Amino acid sequence: MSRGIMHPHKKRSIAPIFWLLFGAGGMVSALFGPALILLTGVMLPHGWGIPERFGDFAHADVFARNPLGKLVILGVIALFCWHGAERLFLTLKDMRAGPLPLLRWATYGVAALVTLLTLALLLEIGF
Amino acid sequence: MSERRPFHRAQSRTWWARKPYLAYTVRELSGVAVALYGIILLAGLACLARGPLAFDAYRQVLGGAPSLLIHLLLLAAMLWHVVTWFQTMPKTMPKLIVHGRQVPQTRLTTIGLCIAFGCSAALLAAVILVGALA
Repeated sequence: MSRGIMHPHKKRSIAPIFWLLFGAGGMVSALFGPALILLTGVMLPHGWGIPERFGDFAHADVFARNPLGKLVILGVIALFCWHGAERLFLTLKDMRAGPLPLLRWATYGVAALVTLLTLALLLEIGF
Repeated sequence: MSERRPFHRAQSRTWWARKPYLAYTVRELSGVAVALYGIILLAGLACLARGPLAFDAYRQVLGGAPSLLIHLLLLAAMLWHVVTWFQTMPKTMPKLIVHGRQVPQTRLTTIGLCIAFGCSAALLAAVILVGALA
């Protein structure tokens, strides 16, 4: 069967898209993840090291209305979820946890849903 | 006609929970912790969109002890993700050759970890500085 060699473009895969999102999420989280968790999960809620009001509605609202802030929020939430989705999918696949289409929906599907939800919420909050 | 009958070694269903595969499983699931943190942020965004009352409720949950414990666990998983991410990176990228010599993988891991530490430290320092000046 020389079909694949004669027509190398016939069998294109969309896997690189998922790999790109996985890689981007992995890199952003590797570079800023620890600081982000410390900031939003430990320091801001308790006012440790930063004024507690930085975490209140008014401050968060200003951040989420700023176009650059929106980009940061979308980037962090969506890419982190695509990263986890890819890893969970491959692990479940290796565990032979279920049929592949189901595993795809349960991982990539959730990440896609999270991305759309984040976009919708950012639009709802407005500029 | 000879039929192809490849040999399949019996594999237990829980192979991933045993050594030496356990390290692989833990590494992959540390990446899932990254996504869980993203979901926590998404919940905050949803509360923010609903208004001050909902957002205050979110902050109240975040200020509690269970949330603190969860975030510390997520931080531990995130740190393991950072370490394994830069351990894996040299294996997935093309060989890096400087002055005709291949840069050793351990060196690339160290450089990556230093950059990661610098990024996180810079972000923390910037926010603390802004907080101190405000």
